[in-house]
Amino acid sequence: MNKASKGSMVAIAAALLVSYAGYASLQNHSPSASAAAHRVAKKHVAAGAIHLQETGSTLLFPLFQSWVPAYKKVASNVFITPAGTGSGVGIQDASSGAVQIGASDAFMNNGQLASAPGILNIPLAISAQQIMYNVPGLKKSVHLHLTGNVIAQMFLGNIKYWNAPQIQALNKGIRLPHHAIVPVHRQDGSGDTFLFTQFMTDTNAKWAKNVQFGTSVNWPQVTSALGAVGNNGVVQLASQTPGSIAYVGISWLNNALHQGLGEAELQNKAGKFVLPTAATIKAAANMMIRHTPKDERISLIYAPGAQSYPIINYEYAIVNKKQANPATATAVKNLLLWAISVKGGNKPMFMNKVHFLPLPASIAPLSRAQINQIKG
Amino acid sequence: MNVSQPHRTLLDHNAKAKIGKRRMQSYTLWIVSGIFLAAVLGIVLMILGAVAVLGFPGLTAATFLTDTQGIAGGLQNAILGTLVLILASIIISGTLGVLGGMYIAIFAGPKVASVLRFATEVLSGVPSIIIGYFGYTMMVVSWGFGYSLLAAAISLAVLTLPYIVRTTEASLRQVPKSYYEGGLALGLTQEATLRKIMFRPALPGVLTGILLAISIGLGETAPLLFTAGWSNFNPSLQLLHSPVAYLTYVVWTYSQEPFAASHQLAYTAALLLILLLLVLHIVVRLLQRKKVA
Amino acid sequence: MKFSSAFSKLFKVATGIAAGGPLLIVLVIIIALVIDSIPALRYQGWSFFTGTSWNMGNAYASTLSIHGGEKAAFGASFGILPFIVGTLSTSLIALVIAIPVAVLTALILVYKVPKSLGKVISPMIELLAGIPSVVYGLWGILVVAPFVQHVLGPWLMHLGTIIPFLAGPIQTGYGLLTAGLVLAVMIIPIVTSTTRDLLMQVPQLPMEGAYALGLTSFEGIRFIALPWIRRGLFGAVVLGWGRALGETMAVLMVSGGAANMPANLYSAVTTMASAIAADLDSAMNDYTHMSVHALTLLALTLLVITLVTNVAARLLVYLGRRGPDVEVQA
Repeated sequence: MNKASKGSMVAIAAALLVSYAGYASLQNHSPSASAAAHRVAKKHVAAGAIHLQETGSTLLFPLFQSWVPAYKKVASNVFITPAGTGSGVGIQDASSGAVQIGASDAFMNNGQLASAPGILNIPLAISAQQIMYNVPGLKKSVHLHLTGNVIAQMFLGNIKYWNAPQIQALNKGIRLPHHAIVPVHRQDGSGDTFLFTQFMTDTNAKWAKNVQFGTSVNWPQVTSALGAVGNNGVVQLASQTPGSIAYVGISWLNNALHQGLGEAELQNKAGKFVLPTAATIKAAANMMIRHTPKDERISLIYAPGAQSYPIINYEYAIVNKKQANPATATAVKNLLLWAISVKGGNKPMFMNKVHFLPLPASIAPLSRAQINQIKG
Repeated sequence: MNVSQPHRTLLDHNAKAKIGKRRMQSYTLWIVSGIFLAAVLGIVLMILGAVAVLGFPGLTAATFLTDTQGIAGGLQNAILGTLVLILASIIISGTLGVLGGMYIAIFAGPKVASVLRFATEVLSGVPSIIIGYFGYTMMVVSWGFGYSLLAAAISLAVLTLPYIVRTTEASLRQVPKSYYEGGLALGLTQEATLRKIMFRPALPGVLTGILLAISIGLGETAPLLFTAGWSNFNPSLQLLHSPVAYLTYVVWTYSQEPFAASHQLAYTAALLLILLLLVLHIVVRLLQRKKVA
Repeated sequence: MKFSSAFSKLFKVATGIAAGGPLLIVLVIIIALVIDSIPALRYQGWSFFTGTSWNMGNAYASTLSIHGGEKAAFGASFGILPFIVGTLSTSLIALVIAIPVAVLTALILVYKVPKSLGKVISPMIELLAGIPSVVYGLWGILVVAPFVQHVLGPWLMHLGTIIPFLAGPIQTGYGLLTAGLVLAVMIIPIVTSTTRDLLMQVPQLPMEGAYALGLTSFEGIRFIALPWIRRGLFGAVVLGWGRALGETMAVLMVSGGAANMPANLYSAVTTMASAIAADLDSAMNDYTHMSVHALTLLALTLLVITLVTNVAARLLVYLGRRGPDVEVQA
């Protein structure tokens, strides 16, 4: 009994000590991490093979995964392991040195960049987002006309029924039901939310003032509002919920249509109603070329032009300029250059599967210039 | 065990009616119990059946022989990764858990034991997402482990440790105290008594605890997502800076993707997880029978 | 002999250190959680626990919000009351369903089902405990949500005249009831297998005595077996509750994900654990780190709730009449 309590005292003391040490290590973040990354990466070089890790956007993950076997044929000594973790983790990992490449649907904000200087935001491809709805009694061939302003009012709870005059005015000749509107949003933080809320901010003053934009926002307290996890979850929930309206990443378009959801024609800045097609996405991207700055951090939402689809974005690779060693830097550089090349990762065979579009010919040089800044 | 006949002669009419009512009550409750059992079994069969039906078409030799490639491919990397992760985490939590359970059951005084037991229970109540988050900020980022076997194994071990401690302690407590006293009386040390006399009868219980821990570890996603990462290749067996593939990642991530081939892979991974669980159950049951016999 | 005694001592110390493991880990977690969550408390004050609006703010805005000397993304405000309500209500629904089902299932398994059949059924139920929670989530989406929306919900709505909370309307199958049902199925195997193990330890003699006295089989169980295993059963229930409070992925997938206070049994809700999982990624985009601090405080609150329920349960058992000492096995 006596000895026993002595033993347990030791155990408790050890517990306190180690818990303090644990806390202390929580306090000093990245430096030790990147130092360790250095050490380990060096070991790899000696072995000849180079391991590259990518974490981040779940939207970009399928594309990255499909690049892996193809790139194996280009550089057989480079082993790439992508993982879909969410854009926030991808940015954090690339900044701390835990991985070589992060992936994000949203470009980094100024504050993030200030605390992690030397991080590049490199567009790899162009993606888009469509607005889908489940309106009972509507014919499959019909595409409802919607404006950002009206969608925002639906999500704000100001328009409550599908046959509201504001919606009816945009869709003359279509019989809309008196069915309650159920706005569906992403519950998990998401690049899709980032794009959608930017579109809302650009088109509705009340939204711009009260909700704003981000990868997750404070959704207006509408009693009917619902949230779901992942694009898959949103499609599933919307298709099971009559009256729903949701934003869905373009990669899920076929799924969503197959599940019986309708796809809206959105009003662009020029006042025209357009569907997200290769032509309208390309048109919008082309309009934004001259606005794209050198560091390529820009929103492509609500682009001008009669043909432009209003919700498109760059899909970013987040990379530290300064890699652990020259060999890793070269490997990262070559991979990214291959990825944005129309003969490599931007080939239609990769893009079509996820409905992405290749970088416009005049944007690719900007990405190339950024990639060439990567050093060992 | 069955209902025995009450003494009829001593009962008046009123009491007979009462007994009838009580019998009815008893029957009704057994019927309700039967319905509940059927419902639970129905749910088990529904889930297992659905996973089997959905997962089976994707199960081929290539599932075991090739790695995950692109949006589909095989599961060799995830199967091996899962086994390595489980093994590594059980080495940690099994050692700590069995030893710790012994201490609480045999050596610790009642007060110390209750403190340690309480801590164990608190730990089992920590949501797995919190353990994953700590694994990430501490091990992956601060300590520079990167996405790695070690970070994942420790996170899983933390998650499963309480179950092993608790079952080890409970099983040892069930061994009659006289065995322990007898061992000491024979001149054996405490440790020898524990090892040679107490542990054998407790072993089936301890093994059940470890099985439970493995089952829980097999089904976890949240803590691994942030610590093991994911890899398209077989586990490198490096402790640090080498991500590990695992089956629940496939179930979670690939079921979220827009391709039928990815969904198939997710279902197949779920089926494999359940088969793995089944095999474990059978193995441990056989082990138990052997030890008892 | 000398060596063996030294080894014996060493072994004992080793067991002591190992036993300290869980305590050590719990301390690390709690200390780190407390220190890491202080800025959030300073920023938000006590309205953190009573506020109903959760907003991580706009990290892309050019200005910051400053409260209590702490910086946060523009417009950030953290109120977790809806998450607390969501967590407690879903886990309570789960318990209300799971306890009778699990206990009665265990009873029939032990007392009525033939042993050979029981040997097949019991492992099947235990298998439920090992099914990945993501699979439960998918099952919830494909089976439970439509069932609640089209069958169970409309039926329960008839009771709405008596209990207004059941009245509806039902908008979708995703919400409080569905999350509670999925959680119930997840904790049933834990409670069932523990209760079964406990019942097997109830001595035959008093049970037979009860039957000899003319008690029906169920009365024997009610007056002898259940009181006998009371403490252990309680432990099993607390264990199950703990799992329900902390379950993340499955709840995330079926709870409907609205951060509002639930208006009825079918309302969409968010639980604390699923809020942490859903917001962790976005929180990392907040360069002021306040979102991470707030999530940490949320995690700490969840841990405290788990702790308090655990302690309260123990206190109840302690204050109640002390029953025979049968421990929980798993």
